[in-house]
Amino acid sequence: MAKREVEGAKYAVAEINGKGGILGRQVELLVEDSANDVGTGVQKTRKLIDRDQVDVILGDVNSGIAYAMSQVTNEKKVFHIVPGGHTDPITGTDCKWNVFRICNTTSMDAAAITPELVKKFGKKWFFITPDYAYGHTLQDAFIKNLKKAGGTYEGDMLPINTSDFSATLIKAKAYQPNVLLNNMGGLAQIDCMKQFTQFGMGKSMGLGGALFELESIKSVPADAQTGWWVMEWWWNQPNVPHVADFVAGMRKATGKTPSARHWFGYVGVHSVRLGAEKAKSLAGPKLSVAMEGLELPPDVALQPGKTFYRAGDHELMPNIFVGEVHPPKGNPDDVFTVSALVPGEQAAGTVEDTGCKMTHPAA
Amino acid sequence: MLQLVLYNVTNGLIIGAFYVLMALGLSLILNLSNVINFAHGNFLALGGYIAFVMAPYTGFWGALLLSPLVAALFGFIIERVMIRRVYGRDPVYSLLLTFGLAFIIQDVCRYVWGPNGLPLGIPDVMAQPLSANLFFITWYRIFMVAIVIIAVAGLFAFLRFSRVGMRIRAGTLDLDTVAALGVNVRLLRSFNFALGSLLAGLSGVLAAGQIGLNPNMGDDLLMPSFIAIIVGGVGSLTGTLLGGLLIGVAAAVTTVFFPSASEAVIYLIMAVVLLLRPRGLLGEEGMMT
Repeated sequence: MAKREVEGAKYAVAEINGKGGILGRQVELLVEDSANDVGTGVQKTRKLIDRDQVDVILGDVNSGIAYAMSQVTNEKKVFHIVPGGHTDPITGTDCKWNVFRICNTTSMDAAAITPELVKKFGKKWFFITPDYAYGHTLQDAFIKNLKKAGGTYEGDMLPINTSDFSATLIKAKAYQPNVLLNNMGGLAQIDCMKQFTQFGMGKSMGLGGALFELESIKSVPADAQTGWWVMEWWWNQPNVPHVADFVAGMRKATGKTPSARHWFGYVGVHSVRLGAEKAKSLAGPKLSVAMEGLELPPDVALQPGKTFYRAGDHELMPNIFVGEVHPPKGNPDDVFTVSALVPGEQAAGTVEDTGCKMTHPAA
Repeated sequence: MLQLVLYNVTNGLIIGAFYVLMALGLSLILNLSNVINFAHGNFLALGGYIAFVMAPYTGFWGALLLSPLVAALFGFIIERVMIRRVYGRDPVYSLLLTFGLAFIIQDVCRYVWGPNGLPLGIPDVMAQPLSANLFFITWYRIFMVAIVIIAVAGLFAFLRFSRVGMRIRAGTLDLDTVAALGVNVRLLRSFNFALGSLLAGLSGVLAAGQIGLNPNMGDDLLMPSFIAIIVGGVGSLTGTLLGGLLIGVAAAVTTVFFPSASEAVIYLIMAVVLLLRPRGLLGEEGMMT
C-alpha cells in the first residue's frame, strides 16, 4: 500500500481497537513492503498468509502487483481488499470472489471527467500515457468515451519512468489539440506538468486527465497547479457530516491533511470491520458474501449519497469528485475546487460492461 | 514533419548536453580510478537537495554556485573514507560498494526530505519560452546548455593546461608511472573523485530547476550517462561528449515516430556500437583525448 494508505489504515485500526476491535479481537496491522516489484509483492503475500496467518490482505497500490497478489489470495481463499490499484481487470474481466476494490477503475475516472473536458475545451485530444497496464486501460477508457462524443485524438505511450517530456510536448503542440491529457502517474506526471507549464502550452490548449492527487499537486510549482481532474475523495466538503472530524483527527494523528489515499486505507480497514460484523466471521468466503452490496455508513463513507460495494463486481461505488486544480487559496491544501459529483455507478456502467463474471466457491 | 524532426533534433541536443555533463563526471572517475560509480546519480540528487536547502538563504544563483562545491566536498570525503579501500581490487568491489552507497544516499534523501517531489524555484524570467514558435526552448534550457558548455570547456582546459589536470590525464594512461615520478596519487584520486562529484552536483541543481527533486531523480539519468560513455568510448572525454549528444538526439527523434521506444533506442545504439566498434566511437583504451 502507499504510505498514506497505511496511515489511513492505522488511523482506522486505532478507532476500531478503541471500541473493542473486530468480533471482540484487537486488530493488528502487519505492514510489508512490496518494493514496487511483482515478485516481492507475491512473496510477501504468501508470507503474510502462510507464516503470519493473517485473516485479510490489503494492497497493493501498483495495479500489476495487486493483480498478482489477488491470484495468491484467491488460491488461499483469503479475503483481499485492493485500496488503490486502478487497472480495470481487477474488478472486471479478472474479478474474483474474494477481491474487493475501493479506488475507482480507470474507466470510472475517464467516464466521469470526459464530459467536463469536452464541454470546457473541445473534442480534439492528445494523450501522454505511461506504457503499462494502468496507462493502457486508462487511455482506452478515455478513447471510448471521446469517440462516443464524436472526438478525435492522437497520443504517445511513453516509458513509465520518463522524466523529460519535451519531445512529446513538441509533438502535442504540432497536433494542436483542444486539450492535453496527462495520464502519467507519480513523479512522471509531475515532471510532465512542469514542462507543460514552462513551455507556455497552457495558452494554446487545455490540460486535464484522470488523477492528479493531492500529494502530486503539492509537489509542483504554483503555476503548474492547473487543469481539470478527478479526485477520488476530497477533504474539503463543508456540509457533509463527519468529514470535518475525520480531517481534524487525521491532521492530529499524521500532521497532514488527509488525501484520497488516506481515505482508501481508512475505508479498507473499516470495510473489513463492517463485513465481519455482518458475517460474524473473518473467513474469506463468508466475509465476501457479507460485503456484497454492503453500504458504508456516513462516518466511513465521508461523502454525500449512497456508497456501497456493488455485488456483481465488488467495486466500491462512491462519488467521483470532478473539478479544477488551482494554486492554494489560503489553506495550502485548498488546491482543488469541486465542480461536479458524479455518482460512481453512473461512471462505472453496468457489471456486464466490466466483463466481470463472478463465481463463488462451492460452500 | 520536417519541422517536427528539426525541432526534436534541437531538443535532443539540449537533452544530450545534460547527459554530457553527468557522463563527464562519471567518466573522469572511471578513467583515473577504474571505479564504476553507481552512486553518481545519487550525488546528482544530493546536489539538487543541497541547493533546495540553500536556496531560501542564497537564492537560486547562490545555490547553483555553492551546492556543487558541497557535493564535491562530500565526494572527497566519501572517496577518502570508503572508495579508496577498494582500489587495486577487482572492479566488482567498487561496483558493489558504490551500488550500496547509492541505496544509502537515496534512503537518506527519502528520510530527510520525504518521498514526494519537491520544487526548486528558478527565476521567473528563465521559466519563459523564447518565443511562441520555439516554445520548447525556455531561457532556463538555454542557460543549462550555456552552463554545460562553460563546464565542459573549463574541464577540458583544466585537464590540458593545468598541472593537476595533466597529472590526471597522465594517470589515466599509467598511474604507476605517475606515482613513481613522485606525484601524490592518493590525493590526485581524491581530487579527481571530488571533481566528478562536483559535475554531478552541478547536474543536480540544473535538473532540479527543470523537473524538481525526488530521491530517485538520479537513477533515470545514470543509465544514459553510462551509455554515453560506452558509445563514446571508455577513456575518451571527447567520445563521452559525442556519445551524450548522440543518444540525446536519438531519443528525441525516436519520440516522433516510436514514442514507446524512446528509451530502448539508446540501448540499441549501444549494442550496435559495441558490435561494430567495441571500444566505442572515439575510444582508445587508456587514452584521454
